[in-house]
Amino acid sequence: SEGSDSPTTHTKDVTTHTRAMKVKHQALQDQLESCLLQLKKLCIREAELTGQLPKDYPLLSGEKPPQIRRRIGAAFKLDEQNILEGSKLSLADAELALQMKIYEAARKLCEEHHLSKAVRKSRLQQCKVEEKKLKKLQEMTFQLRLERGRSSPLPAFNISKDLGTSDDSSLSDSVVQDEEVTSQSSQPSSYPVETDPPLMSTHSSEDGSYMSHSVAPRLSPLNSCQSPCPSLDSNLSFNSSCAYDQPPIQNSPWTESSLDQPYQKSKKSHTSNKSERLPQLEACPSQTSLPQQLSHLRLGHSHSNSTPSTPEKHIYRQLSLRLSSPESSALKDRGRTRVPRRRPTESGIILPDSLSPTKNFLHHEDSNSEKSFSSYGSSPCQEFPSNFSRHYLSPFPLSSPQGSYGPPAPPSTSFYHPQSYLLSPRMQRTYYNTDMVYPPNQDLARSRFHQHVPNRYDYCYRDAAVPHQRAPSIRVTPPAQKDQLYYHANGHPHQVVNEQLKSWHQRSQLKAPRSRSLDRPGAVRMKTTAARELTYHQNHKYQDQVNVQEPWFIDDSSHYMSQV
Amino acid sequence: MSFVPGQPVTAVVQRIEIQKLRQGENLILGFSIGGGIDQDPGQNPFSEDKTDKGIYVTRITPGGPAEVADLRIGDKIMQVNGWDMTMVTHDQARKKLTKKKEDVVRLLITRKSLEQAVNQSKGKYPRP
Repeated sequence: SEGSDSPTTHTKDVTTHTRAMKVKHQALQDQLESCLLQLKKLCIREAELTGQLPKDYPLLSGEKPPQIRRRIGAAFKLDEQNILEGSKLSLADAELALQMKIYEAARKLCEEHHLSKAVRKSRLQQCKVEEKKLKKLQEMTFQLRLERGRSSPLPAFNISKDLGTSDDSSLSDSVVQDEEVTSQSSQPSSYPVETDPPLMSTHSSEDGSYMSHSVAPRLSPLNSCQSPCPSLDSNLSFNSSCAYDQPPIQNSPWTESSLDQPYQKSKKSHTSNKSERLPQLEACPSQTSLPQQLSHLRLGHSHSNSTPSTPEKHIYRQLSLRLSSPESSALKDRGRTRVPRRRPTESGIILPDSLSPTKNFLHHEDSNSEKSFSSYGSSPCQEFPSNFSRHYLSPFPLSSPQGSYGPPAPPSTSFYHPQSYLLSPRMQRTYYNTDMVYPPNQDLARSRFHQHVPNRYDYCYRDAAVPHQRAPSIRVTPPAQKDQLYYHANGHPHQVVNEQLKSWHQRSQLKAPRSRSLDRPGAVRMKTTAARELTYHQNHKYQDQVNVQEPWFIDDSSHYMSQV
Repeated sequence: MSFVPGQPVTAVVQRIEIQKLRQGENLILGFSIGGGIDQDPGQNPFSEDKTDKGIYVTRITPGGPAEVADLRIGDKIMQVNGWDMTMVTHDQARKKLTKKKEDVVRLLITRKSLEQAVNQSKGKYPRP
């Protein structure tokens, strides 16, 4: 730059520059060569393992690809079939998902109002076509899954007795629609038993009313043998006891059965059940179909006094009772002293306990409970959820999903309110609306409780605890985000509420057995009619299930919903 | 999701409530089940443990009540209305599910993703 005015320095500059470039070029070329060499080595190694030279192998012009022998005893062997099938399955799955969407879209098009006849017809047709395709795809993926399940190299699969049938080609014949035929042929002794009218009648008398339904699961765990042969059944009817004494038949091919058709048909039950059904619905939470639920609430209002409790919850209680101690009194004592700092293993017991007591308490012990409960029962509904949420939600963020496996759970359903209210403001509004429809009374409060029952539980088997018991016992803990509430909220309100809830819990423990409306007048009559209907409809059963995959029309559902 | 006798087994379950659809005289659930203690568990394509004789959801009718309730293919049914479903025959399970008198079935189900979610949160937020 200094000597840029003189020609000599200029040429000198150029020559040094080109020299520098040449050096650089050389260096780059060297680097490229070494890289190519490296690539070659890698390719050869790959070829040694897979037996195939990858396309990436750098071939110079005129160079021949090296012949490489696959090493014997290479580090791993590819299960080509498995990979292939896996991809096939995932492909089919993707296709199925797509088709599902297509079908849904077609169905929605059909539902549109104000369509001309021609358009509607063509859309309906389209919908049917899509549905057919969908069913086909479903079938295909199912078969693929089945095949893969059969040939999967899982260790447990190699158990010899399983292998016997699973290698059998009979599976493909028997899998799908015609399960009636297969189950008839493959388990001739068990099938007639299942459909035996007398047996059915015992079943129906067990479950003829909700009260007895909840009795059954309550008792069976105490018998410490629940399945495979429900001890209740065998106790109750001679017929079934003969039948159930036979060991269950093993290794009939794995089949599926569609639940789109009922086990029995009955016309009468429609009317007789409707009144039965409503209270139960009212008492149970439905998080999926809110509008439907609300309408049930409205209708079920008049039935609320006789609302039976959910059997599910009773089984939790009973199971957990057995789990922790044979005497329920022991549990009660424990509940009294240890509620606030339960260990994870115990926490599960409380929640479900407290759920049914809430209900029982409310509608059976109204007079007794006023002292401890009136604050909940009669307070305007808008008030306490928001209070709760303020108390419990402020100290920590909502988003951290603590495991749902353990932190202590005070026996409170009301604890759910803050969470659900905060999580879904829209839901909250809806509830308020319903609140306004009704005068704020205890029934309302009760129904509100049940709408916030969590939908995730910890579910634990403790077979070790009860050696002879075949059915697992169950422990239930509240869902993840809710747990953290209990765990962290050590503040004042928590304590106060805890105290109340503790006494509440204890009382409900004492009262629980009485909570079922055992003497509903209609119950007995219903049982007998049901039994008669059952026997009558047994004959039609197989016929019914032939057209198992009847299309499901949304029109009916909307009709149904509005009807309710 | 099967359990070894003598070994405690934990499962994360979800509550699912299916409002049966009344179609004429039929109550429709909108899904299919497979499995049971009378069936060869080795052929169950959905179970991880091929000795698991539980009841599995094999099919969901699109748009049906089960789909609405967010039941999914491959879910294992643990309870139906409080009744144990982990140790029942196929037909017993079907009977419990298709009770004519009940317009609602409440299921406890477990699925892999549920457990994974819990395990993840377990890892991320170790319990104090």
